[in-house]
Amino acid sequence: MSENFSETFIQTKEIHFTLDGKDVFVQRAIKDPVPTIFEAAQKWGVTIPTLCHQQNEKPVGVCRVCVVDVAGQRVFPASCVRPLEEGMKIQTASEGVKAARKTLIELLMADHPSPCARQKLSSDCELECLAKEAGIKQTPFAPRATPRGHDDSSLSIAVDHEACILCDRCIRGCNEIRHNFVLARRGKGYQAGISFDENLPMATSSCVSCGECMVSCPTGALTNKKVIDQNLGEGDAVKVADMQKLDIFKNVSGTFLNLNSNAVRKRTYKAGEIICKEGDFGSTAFYILDGNADVYLSSPMTHINTKGKKGFSSKLKTVLETTNRTKGSKEVRKVSIPIDGPVDLAYDNPIAHLKAGELFGEMTCMNYYPRSATVRAETDTTVYEMLRNVLDILRRNKAFKARTDQTYRKRALGSHLRGIPIFSTVTPDFISDLRDRIELRQYAPGQLICRQGDPAHSFFLVRIGFVKVTETHPGGELVLAYIGRGGYFGEMSLLGGGVRTANCIALDNVEVVRIRMEDFSLMLDSFPEVRRGLEAVAAERAAENRRHFTQIQTVPVDSFLAQGLMEAQSLLVLDLNKCTRCDQCVQACADAHGGTSRLIRDGLRLDHYLVATSCRQCKDPLCMVGCPVGAIRRRNSLEITIEDWCIGCGLCANNCPYGNINMQPFDVQTIDPAQPNRKVAEVKFKATACNLCPDHDEPNCVYACPHDAAHRVNPREFFAEFAKDSKGLFS
Amino acid sequence: MWFIGSVIVLAVGVLLYVPYSLRSVDGVSGGSGPGLAYGILGFAMMIFAGLLGARKRVRIWRLGRATWWMRGHLWVGFLSFPFILFHGGFQLGNGALSRALMILFLIVFVSGVLGAVLQHFLPKMMTERIPMETIYDQIDHVENQLVVEAAQLVADASAMVEQAIEQQEEAEEKAPFAAAGKKNAVAMPDERVSAKIKAFFETQIKPYLTSRRSQKYSLTNPVQAAAAFRQLKLLVPDTVWPKFDDLESICGEKRELERQRYMHKWLHGWLLFHVPASYALILLGAVHAFVALRY
Repeated sequence: MSENFSETFIQTKEIHFTLDGKDVFVQRAIKDPVPTIFEAAQKWGVTIPTLCHQQNEKPVGVCRVCVVDVAGQRVFPASCVRPLEEGMKIQTASEGVKAARKTLIELLMADHPSPCARQKLSSDCELECLAKEAGIKQTPFAPRATPRGHDDSSLSIAVDHEACILCDRCIRGCNEIRHNFVLARRGKGYQAGISFDENLPMATSSCVSCGECMVSCPTGALTNKKVIDQNLGEGDAVKVADMQKLDIFKNVSGTFLNLNSNAVRKRTYKAGEIICKEGDFGSTAFYILDGNADVYLSSPMTHINTKGKKGFSSKLKTVLETTNRTKGSKEVRKVSIPIDGPVDLAYDNPIAHLKAGELFGEMTCMNYYPRSATVRAETDTTVYEMLRNVLDILRRNKAFKARTDQTYRKRALGSHLRGIPIFSTVTPDFISDLRDRIELRQYAPGQLICRQGDPAHSFFLVRIGFVKVTETHPGGELVLAYIGRGGYFGEMSLLGGGVRTANCIALDNVEVVRIRMEDFSLMLDSFPEVRRGLEAVAAERAAENRRHFTQIQTVPVDSFLAQGLMEAQSLLVLDLNKCTRCDQCVQACADAHGGTSRLIRDGLRLDHYLVATSCRQCKDPLCMVGCPVGAIRRRNSLEITIEDWCIGCGLCANNCPYGNINMQPFDVQTIDPAQPNRKVAEVKFKATACNLCPDHDEPNCVYACPHDAAHRVNPREFFAEFAKDSKGLFS
Repeated sequence: MWFIGSVIVLAVGVLLYVPYSLRSVDGVSGGSGPGLAYGILGFAMMIFAGLLGARKRVRIWRLGRATWWMRGHLWVGFLSFPFILFHGGFQLGNGALSRALMILFLIVFVSGVLGAVLQHFLPKMMTERIPMETIYDQIDHVENQLVVEAAQLVADASAMVEQAIEQQEEAEEKAPFAAAGKKNAVAMPDERVSAKIKAFFETQIKPYLTSRRSQKYSLTNPVQAAAAFRQLKLLVPDTVWPKFDDLESICGEKRELERQRYMHKWLHGWLLFHVPASYALILLGAVHAFVALRY
């Protein structure tokens, strides 16, 4: 060893050793750590095969493939961790080393699903390449008996534990390079494996989808998932370098972005151009790079009305008429309309503005719901349009998440909270104070948000997606509600003793705003009207739930089980032995709803009863799932209501298994884009369904039947008395 | 409630009429005090009964359930009959107007009773005899759909027959002796069968399904229809039989729709007499009251 002084006065040392019979040396700065045998060999152009070692990661020496023969040593040391010493005599490819390496590779190949996903995709699985170089065609060792499984939960990375060789490169990539600390080892012996957080599925863990683990993995254990129709086609291709300049893509692996580059397109819109239209189905989200956009509802905010000649020949012409609020309505109109964007629309002025750095279309992209609003470029605007896998990367990115959180707190939290009638009296000052204390949380489809019986610590507002609320009883599970954007849950348990009264499960990709119990209690104490309103709603819901519970315990009648009638809470039943087919019920329904009947006097027959095609107020209202603007909702008891901001996408009508929701067409005069001074009629649609005429004790169809043939019944009670006698003519 | 009330009112009316009629020197007259009272009451009952039509126009107005009004119409209308008889002294009346009114009143009353009876029994009959009942206004549309379905079934059946012929010819080419034996054992279709099926559709099924007066077609009779389809089945392999079964079902459905049309007309057709006659009765009744009181 000799010490030298370089021109920059860094003290260096030389280490002399023998490498494969040649006398060589390496120079190192005194302050630097001693190089390993692997590094030293590399400097002299000798490649020692390895699996667990990667240049940018701290070596750990777990695979032992990089072993070398050092004269005078008891065992073959791992070259990636063994420091070089003066005078070492090293053989990198002696017969003994080759035999040891071959055995190690054969052992690893015994459990490896050859060819693995990476080998199939790009023929560069490092283990299988090593096996090929070593001339290993078949391993003499038996594979493991217990499978290790797969994890397909992530949108962008496929996890195959069967192909994992426990090299820990992914763990070191996640922790040392990206500092995300998601990955770790779990278990021992045959139970050993890689896990995300506390052995959670990758999608539900805190993984940010940076892709570093996938890039680090030497085998097909972590591979990039190709999304179907990943190629967005038209539009300008996006360079990875340009994407990485944006904050939102910082800390995302460049390789990973490159693999997904076909899932992003840059698009430019001139001022006035439509970017997306409400009601259209889609699978992409938009991120505004520069420019401004308007977001609004182009569907008229009204119910439809059908007017025409009455009498024997009637010609139907559908026109618009402003709805009149009937007397006795207990519901207060919402002040804001929830949409799939960073803001809500005010009911009395449904237009908002988006600017650079904002994202819209998340719900459409993640859950394939229809577009909730029309977005038009206010100025010349450039956007990134992206598919789900790229959006997933964005949503998990900490920088982006922090920015969207901030935007939501500033722009939408207030209108979201105060848009709920019960909370309309909460002051802006309180909301400003609350802003920094709320938490935005994401849940994957099927993930449990809160469990019945658990202690309650929070109140939730739904920002994106749908939450299914169910109650578990000895007789079965009862779906209480589907809550979409603009809705809330968790208040009943906070009011009533601190124990969750229902299970809340994410039906799709859900994001909620979590308000802690302390802040919720402070809100109730500061605003007594809010407390009163919530207590009234809670009492009504509790009474309704008790009634539902009683219904569950009633023995069902076999005759109607198969037709889905068990799901109904209210059926319109016509006694065909009394019904003279006069259609007074249909006419009355039309009269009560601006000329459009919401019932069809045809449907399932049971003995002499006809179950008319009219909303059944199902226990599990599938129609409510997916409404992009929250227009279809349930009041606190039974009836399903469709609000007048329905955009006519038809999703509820498609979802209803019984065909009880109809899309009514109406004409709207719009400006012809080809000839601006000319108007053309455009056909739009609105959804209609029976709402049980909530302003009266009895629905109009039942009230108007002259022969006492029409009845709205609870199916269980009604069919339990199936054999009642028909009455006489003049009774 | 209506029954009890009606019985009480009728009983009171009879109890008052008997001594009145016994004490009348010149016989009972509509112009006498009691006669007028009966006449006014009877006319008021008619007007009340007539209000059912108005009530049905304002279906969603909360003026009492339609069932209540219908029962009122029936009982009060029924009650008006004896009261008018009491008013007229069980006679047709002296003048032409009185006679015309009485006859009109009888028409209205009898048609009303007939209607009530029909609307009591016919719904149950329809429920039992028309299991595939549809909405009356949709019958034409359903029949059109049946024609389309039947045409498709006939096309499928013809294609299957032609396929069977081709298979038979191939089998004959490959093994003529075996195929001949098989041919003799089972009646295999020839080229004319497909044409026969299509002709049967064009001449019998399609006209029957589209006709409003289907009585002239043999398919109206279920026994004859079954016989016709049995004959057709003899000509074709059994693989085609399900198509004919479906065609037969379609013809059965058409019969039901015809039955529904017929019964619906009976269920509501009597209104064509009852309603105009009622309007005329009330109008003429008002004229009669004016003339009788004035002059």
